[in-house]
Amino acid sequence: MIAAEPRGVTRVEHIMGMPIVVDVRDVDDAAALDPLFEWFLLVDETFSTYIAESQISRLGRGELALEDADEDVREVLARCEELRVETNGYFDVRAAGPVLDPSGLVKGWSVDHAAAIADALGWRNYAINAGGDMRLRGGALPAPVWRVGIQHPARRDRIVAVVAGDDLAVATSGAYARGDHVIDPRTGRPPEGVLSVTITGPDLGTADAYATAAFAMGTAGPAWTARLRGYEALTLLADGRSLRTPGFHFA
Amino acid sequence: MRRATAAVFAAATLALPTANALAAVTAPKATPKKKVVTATKTFTGTAGFAGRWGDVQVTIVVKKTTTTNLATKKKTVKKKITKVGVPVYPDHTDRSVFINQQALPLLIQETIQAQSSGIDMISGATDTSTGFQQSLASAIVQARAWK
Repeated sequence: MIAAEPRGVTRVEHIMGMPIVVDVRDVDDAAALDPLFEWFLLVDETFSTYIAESQISRLGRGELALEDADEDVREVLARCEELRVETNGYFDVRAAGPVLDPSGLVKGWSVDHAAAIADALGWRNYAINAGGDMRLRGGALPAPVWRVGIQHPARRDRIVAVVAGDDLAVATSGAYARGDHVIDPRTGRPPEGVLSVTITGPDLGTADAYATAAFAMGTAGPAWTARLRGYEALTLLADGRSLRTPGFHFA
Repeated sequence: MRRATAAVFAAATLALPTANALAAVTAPKATPKKKVVTATKTFTGTAGFAGRWGDVQVTIVVKKTTTTNLATKKKTVKKKITKVGVPVYPDHTDRSVFINQQALPLLIQETIQAQSSGIDMISGATDTSTGFQQSLASAIVQARAWK
């Protein structure tokens, strides 16, 4: 009998208000995934706006000075500010009101850090998916790559496109079934004319923020995404057209 | 309150690597050149969280066909999903009843389409479909391990 190759492990936990799926093809033991889920629990404790004693809640109430916050917190808030400038104010952690809420970056940023943990553990074939946004490395063995279906925003039975990669972040922003979630900070209303924006690139925190910003821009989003460097975009418009940057390749 | 339901769909190829063909097979006769053994098994996924609407849990029925070439002793294993069911899904609020009436029949269809494209992950929604996807993923992991 031949020694079996690892079949891989998929583990799902509900943290930060969403399901987090880790699919690793290099190991067989679900407990090997503990360091990643411990990391996500720590992120939740630190950044949750639902936990009154989290650093973000205390910062928001003025009980904690920024210079006394953890380095991670300062890093995330500094990056949020960079992204706000880069997106002409369309990615804004204060878009929903006066409350400090960096969750728009925390999700992708925490997945990027989890991917760094996975790399340090020696994994070469894994996918980390937080609420539909993900980092991929290697392949879904024995396949050499991961294949990601981009869901149709209005017809959940449809996949509008498939992207594939062995070192990629994929983020999608849209209205979807849970209602209008992203608002245009300039009008205070959901954007019109656009159904979803998918961004691919090296870093999930950045891809997610770009997707949020481009979606908030409405029909002006695709033109903005065409100027991004290192990131590619697919925008689905309400009139049935889809627009993608030249480097956004379908699998 | 939770309801039970199940839906039957046309068979679709399970986008999984064929498992190592280790199943013991005894040939009834020595004469045929190949021998085909089929088996059917049900796999239940873990409960997938569907946002504030509760849990969904997916069941798949997998048919495994093991073909043995009696001359070379080489075995090939094919697995197909023959049925997708949702024994547990959230319907404890009016809104989630509405969502599920719309989403679940479509979601099941999505599963068939997704695997026919060999999809490993889906980028997009964050509510019921994600819970569905996660539950389905765990059921497929079990099916993959079936030898």
